[in-house]
Amino acid sequence: MKIKPTNTEIAEVNMTPMIDIVFQLITFFMVINNFDQNEADERVALPRDQLAKPPAVQRKDAFVLNFGFDRDKDGKKISELPFLFFGDEKLSLEQVRPRLRQESQFYSAIGTDLEDVTVEIRADANVPSGMIQELIQMCQETGIEFQRFALKATQKSVP
Amino acid sequence: MKLRNRVGERKIDVNMTPMIDVVFQLLIFFMCTLKVIEPEGDFDISMPLGAPSAASVTDADLPPFKVRMEADAAGDLQTLFFNGTSLGGGEQALAKLNSEVFRAITALQAIGQEQQEKQEVEIDPDYDLHYRYIINAIGACSGRLGPNGIPVRYISRIKFAPRREP
Repeated sequence: MKIKPTNTEIAEVNMTPMIDIVFQLITFFMVINNFDQNEADERVALPRDQLAKPPAVQRKDAFVLNFGFDRDKDGKKISELPFLFFGDEKLSLEQVRPRLRQESQFYSAIGTDLEDVTVEIRADANVPSGMIQELIQMCQETGIEFQRFALKATQKSVP
Repeated sequence: MKLRNRVGERKIDVNMTPMIDVVFQLLIFFMCTLKVIEPEGDFDISMPLGAPSAASVTDADLPPFKVRMEADAAGDLQTLFFNGTSLGGGEQALAKLNSEVFRAITALQAIGQEQQEKQEVEIDPDYDLHYRYIINAIGACSGRLGPNGIPVRYISRIKFAPRREP
């Protein structure tokens, strides 16, 4: 007796709609990812203000100073004094002068006018303001002479 | 005849499995690397130079508006003075500062539009005052948010007074 197998053909699922959706998702996540934010340091909790608008034109020569506290995983401050972060390196306000001088000399060496360089200060909301003034003052010293500054803040959404 | 028929009927079956595997890997990668970043911006202000030294050269005809900010022991805003007048402390002080600046520039506009552009604000904070109040004061002096989200500009020249010692 020959029994005919009833299930010879494999049930074929139509994959096309799923692949469509998955590609859409990939495109979405790729677009939403901004890879150029690598200069923004996560240790810095920026202050918020309504009027802080992202600049309409991307600045050509910008030099970012991240000024904040050492924080643990929950975002709690570990250090009492703020540091300036340059990648993994962290410098106190007193130690940063040679670094600024180096940066200024770099711009002079590549022939960029220091008037065209913007120093973007990303400072933590809890940094004492005297230290910000000191930092700006330091950037203006002879031999460093940065002239344009921008203070960064997070855009507060209007309630 | 028979052979040709068979060739014509054969459906090309692409094996989708490896592609779907890779695509899912990509999807998961992009999902995991996604960081929710709030938009970051700055104030479209120019900070006149020479703030640390008293001999700063500006073309402003009138003395700068003076914003004095006093801190309490915790570094929070205790009292805010605008041209010597106390506006109190906390969030309301910054809102009041915004309306005071508006009143002041309305008076300036009576003299001439260019006066408003030349006018400077000098922010004079205590050493220990938290930076967020400086940002909010700059925000309050530089303008307000219009009804449709477009900012109305007040003053675009904001500088710091010489630093106070801690």
